[in-house]
Amino acid sequence: MTTAVQSSPRTFGRGDAVLGLAARGSALCILGMLAALALVLLAAALPSIRTFGVGFLLSTDWRPNEIVGAGLDAAGNEVEVVSPPSFGGLAVIYGTVVSSALALVVAVPLSLGAALFLVRVAPRLRLAGVLSFLVEFLAAIPSIAFGIWGLFVLAPFLQHVVEPGLKSLLGDVPGLGWLFTGTLNIAGEVVTRPIPLTGRDMLCGGLILAIMVLPIITAVSRDVLRAVPRMQIEGTLALGATWWQSCAAMLRYGRAGLFGAIMLGLARAAGETMAVTMVIGNNNQIEPSPFAPAQTMSSLLANEFAEASDGLHRAALLEVALILLVMSLAINILARSLIVGGGPRAAAAH
Amino acid sequence: MPLVRKNPWKTLQSRVMFAACAACTVLIIGVLGLVTVYLFSIGFGATSWEFFAADPTGNALDPGGMRNAVVGTLILIGLASLIGIPLGLLAGVYLSEYGTERLLPGPVRFVTDVLAGVPSIVVGILGYELLVVPLGNYSGWAGAGALAFIMVPIVARTSEEMFRLVPDSYRQASAALGATRSQTILRVVAPAAAGTVVTGIMLAIARIAGETAPLLFTALGSRFLTTNPSEPFPSLTVQVYTYATGPYPAQRELAWAGILVLISIIFVVNVSIRLVTLRVRRSPA
Repeated sequence: MTTAVQSSPRTFGRGDAVLGLAARGSALCILGMLAALALVLLAAALPSIRTFGVGFLLSTDWRPNEIVGAGLDAAGNEVEVVSPPSFGGLAVIYGTVVSSALALVVAVPLSLGAALFLVRVAPRLRLAGVLSFLVEFLAAIPSIAFGIWGLFVLAPFLQHVVEPGLKSLLGDVPGLGWLFTGTLNIAGEVVTRPIPLTGRDMLCGGLILAIMVLPIITAVSRDVLRAVPRMQIEGTLALGATWWQSCAAMLRYGRAGLFGAIMLGLARAAGETMAVTMVIGNNNQIEPSPFAPAQTMSSLLANEFAEASDGLHRAALLEVALILLVMSLAINILARSLIVGGGPRAAAAH
Repeated sequence: MPLVRKNPWKTLQSRVMFAACAACTVLIIGVLGLVTVYLFSIGFGATSWEFFAADPTGNALDPGGMRNAVVGTLILIGLASLIGIPLGLLAGVYLSEYGTERLLPGPVRFVTDVLAGVPSIVVGILGYELLVVPLGNYSGWAGAGALAFIMVPIVARTSEEMFRLVPDSYRQASAALGATRSQTILRVVAPAAAGTVVTGIMLAIARIAGETAPLLFTALGSRFLTTNPSEPFPSLTVQVYTYATGPYPAQRELAWAGILVLISIIFVVNVSIRLVTLRVRRSPA
């Protein structure tokens, strides 16, 4: 009688050992990647963390160069005062939070509406396949492409059409003046002046982010809504619900997953770099007006990291990177815990 | 008299919301379509044979082409794939086939998901600290390393899902025939999952082809045609960024053309994913 498998037991064992080793090694490698990421950033940011402490999160000062100015010493004589470079992350944290929030305010209603349409209506019109493919392809368009479009099409449109229009409409309304005036700190003196409308501002950054997160929020919420059991929908309809009432019931049923979809969009918006860098105007200051240029954590890194030669400047940038990392990981973990079975789409969604 | 009286207000509300949902869909497709049409129409006008045949001249008024960047991007994708795909696949095999082990699989799956959410600019900075500073200069290796870092979690998670789709009866049948674990994985499970695993790989390639932020501080960019990854390395995305944010109209034109080429590459990859998925679904696994 011949055996079905003829290689010797010794080579069996070796194959198993090699594959097991390689697979376990790769798994450990993945753990190592995260550890390396966290440790390297932490180690490189340490000088900044030591120098500024918690104050880094509370200060809006971002001055890579020292300032030499006039001042008085203890005896009342005029002397040169050198203020050393100073770094604080609050302005860019504000920029990231506000631009992402703006993006969600615009994108979430649109995405949820479209997701409902894709699940409830499009299949009957035989459009679901085409629309889904379109949405997925659009999700794959790279950030830099949106950046170019934002820079050369959206920003000029905002500058020449939308913002002057809004200004003539709202500029004289009492209480809304802050929208169009900013304060400027010139050599210690605070000057109020109208904000020059450049189109490259917080509004433009928020809008381009909104456009970029539309496909991902739509696609994931579509999957969530599709997973709502048919009985739920039919039950509401049997009770006499209108189309919208049954849709509202679907939204309620899938609320955890939908919230997860929104969080995934938020994570993408917060970590997004290139498009924002190109349209947000790159100004490290907190200005309440959406028509003023701003800066996000990621755009600050893109703009300054290559030129930061000074040790403390680089460490401060790495601390910003560390904050960005922690923030987007927290949002991502929250999102994934809410989307049950998000699987490969969620993994590739970023 | 009807059994259920219709509430006219609720009916109106429902109609309005229906119209609103339809409008949302139209608006989203419209806005994204507008972006795409712009990119394509301006890009087509700016693309010429010279784009693929010439390198940048260094003269801002007559900037030449972007051959170096096209070649650079392809080489970077290739190098990143060489590192990222095997590592990702093996991790996927681990998660799916060794997933019943006690200690590792849970944390590894969690960390893989976490890694997929790391902002790409942060990956670029890690690449700078780990590969540029120790090696002493910006290089293609550093760029490829950063891109591989982005590929690994995507390939790992998608391939895990695909390996899991292979029915357990395959594994049991293979074991019953006397195959060892590695033979089962390599000769039974892997071929059965191959078709769909490829889509995960292509997804990852489409993703890194469009990445700019991880390359800014690693590969840096270069205006020369080079195949030597130990020097600063050109890529389409970084060159497009440099040209688009620069002051010269002729270079901006080239940036639009570069974007068109980039999106075309990604489009081709996406359509192939679609075709592969269709074919796999039709053929009985």
